[in-house]
Amino acid sequence: MISRVLIANRGEIALRILRACRTLGIEAVVAYSEADRSSLPALLADEAICIGPADARRSYLSAPAIISAALVTGCDAIHPGYGFLSEDDAFADAVRAHGLTFIGPSA
Amino acid sequence: MPEPHRQSDRTAAARQADHASLVHISEGLVPALVARLQASGLGELEVREGDWKVRVRRPATTGSAVRRAERARPAVHGPAAPAAARAAEPVRTSDRERGVATSPAVGVFRAIAAAGARVRQGDRIGTVDLLGIPQDVVAPIDGTLVELFIETGDAVEYGEEIAAVEAPAPLPEPGAEGDEVTPA
Repeated sequence: MISRVLIANRGEIALRILRACRTLGIEAVVAYSEADRSSLPALLADEAICIGPADARRSYLSAPAIISAALVTGCDAIHPGYGFLSEDDAFADAVRAHGLTFIGPSA
Repeated sequence: MPEPHRQSDRTAAARQADHASLVHISEGLVPALVARLQASGLGELEVREGDWKVRVRRPATTGSAVRRAERARPAVHGPAAPAAARAAEPVRTSDRERGVATSPAVGVFRAIAAAGARVRQGDRIGTVDLLGIPQDVVAPIDGTLVELFIETGDAVEYGEEIAAVEAPAPLPEPGAEGDEVTPA
């Protein structure tokens, strides 16, 4: 059972996941880069946490930063949205290795 | 199943209470804190009141104070709200240079140096544990570590302010009267 999700994406994608979480009664933490500090998903989330600088390679594409953010904010699952790390099987494995649920297709 | 956290679930009474809190904070608390800050010579003051946390900080160059009010969420882990993250750039106060060390990563902080320690630019003040790999938090300038904002074991986000380093008092102007060095 998922009770708290880390949303590792930005913009419209993050907003849609946030809305789905609200509908399901799941708490949502938005991971954002410095460039998205005052973006809508960061402002509307139950909690928001800065994971890195504007450069996506050091924020939305940084698996360690995203997993660490999920752990310190007490999340039990990570939703990568689409694009970024959503189709990276090594990331999905790393998420599971840290005892978290990867939300996405199984293969 | 946890309680849903929908904005629409907030009652009119809760909104009313928030509104009253904001009015109280902006009209009563903040002016009082600013006055206290200006009288004290301190760099920063922070108070908690109910769910609210108000921090008043003396800015780099001007005499007025900057305020930042943020909602404290007691139930959540980690940083309560996005902290004002700034690069570790030194800022000037009235007479002493002051630099703020910021977090290089999102993770768990561990202090190495303690308040009062003398540090050189680039010295490790502490580390942020990123999935078991320590990332260095370094002193932005030479000086004295005057304050640690974060305790060992606390979660920090990227760019979060961790510690303040204050440079020694500036040297007297060249040509100004100073102590003569006399051979022993």
